[in-house]
Amino acid sequence: MLVNYPEAAHWPIDPTRQDLVEEMRANPRGPHSDDLRKLLHRMRWTGVGKRYVVIVLEPNRRWMLGRLPGRRGAPVETFPNRIFTSLAAAEWAVFAMRWEALTGQRLDDGIPA
Amino acid sequence: MMKDTTSVLGYAWPLVVSPGETIAFHLSSATLTEAEARIVRVRCGDPDPAGPGLKTTRLQTRIDGRVALRHQSIHPGSAAIIPDAPILSGPSFSTGCFLWPTAPLAGPQTILSRWREDLGRGWRLGLDAEGHLLFEIAGAAGAASLRAARPLIEREWIFVAASYDGATGALTLVQRSLDAQAGRDTSGAYQTTGPAGLAWPTETALVFAAHAREAGPAPLTAAHFDGKIDRPRLYGAAFGEAALRLACEATRPSAADPALIGAWDFSAEISSDVVRDLSTNRLDGRLRQLPMRAMTGANWDGSAVQWTEKPEFYGAIHFHSDDMADCDWSPDVAMTVPTNWRSGFYALCLTARDGSDDPVESYVSFFVRAPLGQAKCRLALVASTATFLAYANSALRLDQVHAEAMLEGVIALSRDDVYLQEHRELGLSTYDTHSDGSGWCYSTAKRPILNMRPLGNTFNYVNDTHIIDWLEHNGFDYDVITDCDIDRHGAQLLSSYACVINGSHPEYFSRNMLEAFDTYQRGGGRHIYLGGNGFYWRIGFHPTKPHQMEIRRGMNGLRTWEGEAGENGLSFTGEPSGLWRSNGRPPQRLVGVGFDAQVFTRSYPYQWLADAHDPRVAWLIKEIDLAKPLGDFGLRGDGAAGLEVDRVETTLGSPPYLLRLATADQLDYGGVPTVEELRTLHRGAMGDQNAMVRADLVFFPTAAGGAVFATGSIAWACALSCKAYENSVSRVTGNVLRRFLDPAPFSGFDN
Ligand SMILES: [Fe+2]
Repeated sequence: MLVNYPEAAHWPIDPTRQDLVEEMRANPRGPHSDDLRKLLHRMRWTGVGKRYVVIVLEPNRRWMLGRLPGRRGAPVETFPNRIFTSLAAAEWAVFAMRWEALTGQRLDDGIPA
Repeated sequence: MMKDTTSVLGYAWPLVVSPGETIAFHLSSATLTEAEARIVRVRCGDPDPAGPGLKTTRLQTRIDGRVALRHQSIHPGSAAIIPDAPILSGPSFSTGCFLWPTAPLAGPQTILSRWREDLGRGWRLGLDAEGHLLFEIAGAAGAASLRAARPLIEREWIFVAASYDGATGALTLVQRSLDAQAGRDTSGAYQTTGPAGLAWPTETALVFAAHAREAGPAPLTAAHFDGKIDRPRLYGAAFGEAALRLACEATRPSAADPALIGAWDFSAEISSDVVRDLSTNRLDGRLRQLPMRAMTGANWDGSAVQWTEKPEFYGAIHFHSDDMADCDWSPDVAMTVPTNWRSGFYALCLTARDGSDDPVESYVSFFVRAPLGQAKCRLALVASTATFLAYANSALRLDQVHAEAMLEGVIALSRDDVYLQEHRELGLSTYDTHSDGSGWCYSTAKRPILNMRPLGNTFNYVNDTHIIDWLEHNGFDYDVITDCDIDRHGAQLLSSYACVINGSHPEYFSRNMLEAFDTYQRGGGRHIYLGGNGFYWRIGFHPTKPHQMEIRRGMNGLRTWEGEAGENGLSFTGEPSGLWRSNGRPPQRLVGVGFDAQVFTRSYPYQWLADAHDPRVAWLIKEIDLAKPLGDFGLRGDGAAGLEVDRVETTLGSPPYLLRLATADQLDYGGVPTVEELRTLHRGAMGDQNAMVRADLVFFPTAAGGAVFATGSIAWACALSCKAYENSVSRVTGNVLRRFLDPAPFSGFDN
């Protein structure tokens, strides 16, 4: 059996790399530098803090934050007070939550326009 | 606003109809008691506000108006059901089989049973919640059970057996590991004494991989087992382990044994849903919900890898607790398709709660075919139903850990996705894994398919409607034919047309479909392929049951699960499956290009190449500026080359006459090559460093005035409508199509 192990992503997180945070804040949808790609891969492959997703409210216009339950048949967890009007804003918000989960650092809410 | 697309769901049967035939819609709603119904012809199913938007045409039918709705259940989980027979009610019995459990800790499961859940009576051999083998008997005179000391090991073959002696009340249970070294031995033998002379419940079906919830020959079932069952046997006497083991080892135990009640040979009639009893009692059964057949048994030794070579090694069936092939809903409305309707993509549109802040708008798709011998136009567009089925209800983005990394961005779920997360009973796609982690190899249309309808997730169906929209906008007359009809009728269906178009993603092809297109090209057919990743997987349709397809992924290709060793032959047809490239028919041989990479970060423009200046294709580049990029726009990633892309490869069959007109070979790091493009792994394989990661746009003439044009990109179709249809992608497609409809041969290629 061929299995994808989410814990396989082990690129080390360096909490001092504020440059990567700022690069992500400035350009959440990429293209990204090599190191930021590795950081994002670590976050996305492992799905740290459960798997955040967005739920489309209006095609290409409005999205709501959600989280996959990690179990088939269970409902998607929704966050109705976290609405995004761009995928870039959603990408940044998910990054900020994962950065905090990995480093303990809370990033200020500077959601890109 | 995002419409409520799931409060009412349904499926059309048959999925493909001819004008004059009757179609029925099988509907269900858990919350609505009625909806407004109407039939629409689909021109564009994509609600993306950046594109043409949803475009449908309403047609007057007798269905128009209110339709009453009710909730109809779905009963997932496969099993073999053998109706009751007098011989099953004897005083004593013993039963055994080989077992390969795949989710022993998933909850209580029944393996072999003649048990009535409603009465709590009968006998059953199963697993408890901790994965321990459990043998239970119960009747008016009392009950008894035995539990094995050690739990089963996941994906390890084991012999299991149980017996009950009605004269003494003696119960036995045996668990014997087939590979008993290195910690894998969980063997044990157990006995106890229970009530003697138990009387069994009447009208109770014998069930494998579940037990009956109720009386009757076709009961609802519960406690579905996940895993393989190989060579189940049932005797009317309390035999010991050695005798039962011999009976299970024998692929054909003696039918003349007077104690034999039934010996089931799952290697017989593999393409059917029948399980054959080798005894003279003919206790044949039926399979429910398409468990996986043609599976290696405990005796498989690797000396054959196709079940057709040594069927005696393929006496196992892999049952899944979430198998789902047929909702078996009653029809709610039906109509006869008027003979004057054009062929095309159609849907039943159901609306409710109009004017509320959460209106319902849910579609049930069907296709009206241009039947064999009734071509109305010189051009045909192929509906890729095999691909629509392969992707039907894909939960890839919900279940697979690689999805977010592969898509290089946060996953955006539609309401359909949110619904599917909660409602796995719809059955998933061949991209998904069952709840036990094994791959899903069948897909059927007797169930709602959320991503094969207007307003569905973009890909396949919705993307293909962009081609319909473009044909309509440009006033081309066309028939719609289906790939399943090409499978059935072959080249004679294609040869009615001067030109045939495959859409954005004709990925799944049966042998006869491939042969039909090859024959069509050789006979002078003009073949347009406006997609990517086409002609990729070798599949089979069920020989007698419409709209059932099968894929075995094997060990090669860009696959979301890997086939198990020896289990990569199609149970429906006996053919090998896997990639066409691994079957000696790479797509390059048919259409000049073949799959090389996926790129989901963004899409890219093509750059024109020297071949585009060739005077023999001057017609193709009419009103095109070759100095400018081709397709630096598009609804999917802002480019015409993207998502899944194909390239030229002479060694795989791209022909000598081929003109490589344009290429998109700067796909950046998001361009990820497919695994069969890599010999050894090394850095530098991604699109930012590897020119083999690319989309090629090609033309070549074939025999007898035929020709092929291929774009090698899924994103192409979603660029057609940009800039109000006035764009280079649209112009090139139009130039090709007009020239391909012109019977004049393509000259200058010989010598
Ligand atoms: Fe594909």
